[in-house]
Amino acid sequence: MSKILLVEDDEIMPKIVARILPTSEYELDHVSNGKEAFEKLESTNYGYDLIITDIMMPYANGFEILSRVKSQPRPIPVIIVSNAGNEDMIMEGFKLGADDFLKKPIIPAELLIRVKRLLMKNK
Amino acid sequence: MFDIPTPAFLDPVFSTFREAPLAIRLAMIFIIIAISITLLAYFSILRSRFRGHQRKKRLDYLLPKIDNLIIDEILANPEVAAGTPADRIQLNLDGFQELPLHKKWARQATTNRIIHFRRNVRGNAGQLLRSLYIQLELSKDTMKQMKSSKWARKVRALTEFIDMDIPVADVTILPLTNSRNRELRAAARHAYIKLSKNEPFKFFDVVTDPLLMWDQVELFRIITTTEDISIPNFARWITYSSNKSVVSFCLKLIVHYNQLPAVPAVIKLLDTKDHYLRADAINCLGKLRVPDVEDRLVSMFTSQPLQCQIEILKAIGRISSGRQVDFLKQEFLHSTNFDLRKAAAKSLVKNDWVASQVLQELLDTADRESLLILKHCMNPLIKY
Repeated sequence: MSKILLVEDDEIMPKIVARILPTSEYELDHVSNGKEAFEKLESTNYGYDLIITDIMMPYANGFEILSRVKSQPRPIPVIIVSNAGNEDMIMEGFKLGADDFLKKPIIPAELLIRVKRLLMKNK
Repeated sequence: MFDIPTPAFLDPVFSTFREAPLAIRLAMIFIIIAISITLLAYFSILRSRFRGHQRKKRLDYLLPKIDNLIIDEILANPEVAAGTPADRIQLNLDGFQELPLHKKWARQATTNRIIHFRRNVRGNAGQLLRSLYIQLELSKDTMKQMKSSKWARKVRALTEFIDMDIPVADVTILPLTNSRNRELRAAARHAYIKLSKNEPFKFFDVVTDPLLMWDQVELFRIITTTEDISIPNFARWITYSSNKSVVSFCLKLIVHYNQLPAVPAVIKLLDTKDHYLRADAINCLGKLRVPDVEDRLVSMFTSQPLQCQIEILKAIGRISSGRQVDFLKQEFLHSTNFDLRKAAAKSLVKNDWVASQVLQELLDTADRESLLILKHCMNPLIKY
C-alpha cells in the first residue's frame, strides 16, 4: 500500500482526493498547511511514497515543502495541485523539482492516473 | 397639556429632574441617551453573534451531509468513472430531498457547496455538479437575487452564474455593465465575457464611462484567462469607438493577441489629436514590431510631445530593424532631456546586432553622464 501525504488548506479538496484514491491501494494522510507538513514529514522520517501539495498555503508554501523534500537523500515524488495559472509559478515548481503539475479544477481520473504513473516510476 | 401618566416609583426621579438647574437637566438627558445607545449597541452585537452561532451550528450539521451526498452522487457515480457524458446520467436526488431545502439558508449553503466542489473538479464531474444545481432548482434563487435592488446580491448572483456556467440573457447583464457601482460593473463585465457565447465583447459598444485603469487590469485578466471565447479583431473598436479608454484598452489586447491584421487601424490612430492615445498607438506598433512604420515615426518625431517621442524611441528599439541607428545616436548625443537620452540608449542597445560598433565608439568617447546611461542600459539585469 502506498503512503501519500496531501498538503492542502482547502476544506473540500481532501474529501475529493480521498474519494479518488481508493483506500485499498493508498493510505492518505492530510495536513492543512506547510508547518504541519514539515512536522508530519519529520515525525515519519520522510516515510511517504508521494506528496500532493497546493502552492499557496499558510505558514510555509508548496515551494518550501518541495525544496525541503527534494534536498533529502531519498527525494519523494511531488505533484503540485494548484489553481495558480501563472506560467512563472509553474516553471518555478518544475525548477525546484516537482514531478508533475495539475491545475485546479482537476479531472478526478487524471489525478488518479498521474498518481499511479509516478508511483510506478519510482518503485 | 402634555400630562403623560408615569408610574409612581418614577415620581422622585421626575421631581429631581424638574427641580434641577438647566445644565444638570441637559447632562441627565445626555446620560440617558448615551446609556440607551450603548445598551442598544450591545444588544445588537449580542443578537448578531447569537445568530452567527446558530448559523454555524446549523451549517456544522448540514455541510457534512451535503458533502457526502455530492461525493456519493457525483464523484463516486460509476457512470462518471465509466466516461458516460454528463447529460446522459440520471441523478438520484432522493438524498437531497431529505435536506431542508425548503429553507433559504439551506438552499444557499447547498449552492455554495456545489460551487466549491466545482472549483476543485471539472470534466464530467464538473458538468454533473452543474446538472445537480439546475435539477435542485437552485438557479431560481440566483435569478431572484439578480432582481434584488441591492448591488451586493446582484454581484453574488452573477458570480454564481459564472461559476455554474449558466447562460443569462444579454438584456439582463448588458445594462449592469454600465452600472455606477464599481463592483457591480466589474462583475457584470466579467459575467458578460464569460457567459455570452456569441459576442462577449459587445459591451465595448455600449460602455459610456471611461474604463478605469483598475477596470482594465481586471478585464485584461478575465479576457486572457477565459477559455473558449472567440477573440474578435479589436481594430473594430479602434476605428469606431468614441470612448478613448476602450480604444486604449483594445490596443493592449491587440498587442497581447499579436493581431497583425489590426495594424492599418492602429497606424490611422497616429493622426489622432489626443497625444495620450497617439502614444498608446506608437507603443502598440512597437510591440507588434511593424518595420514599415519606422520611417513614419522618425519623420513625425520632432513635432511630437515628450510622451510620444519617448514611445517612438522605444518602438524603434523594439522593432530593431537596424535602419535607424544614426537617428538613435543623434538623439542620444544631442537631446537635452534625460528620459529621451535613456530611451535612445536603450534602443541602441536593442539594435546592437548592427550598432555594436556605434555603441563601442560612444562608450569610448562618452562623458560621465552618458557613460552612466549607456552602462545602465547595457546591464541585462536592469529592465527599465
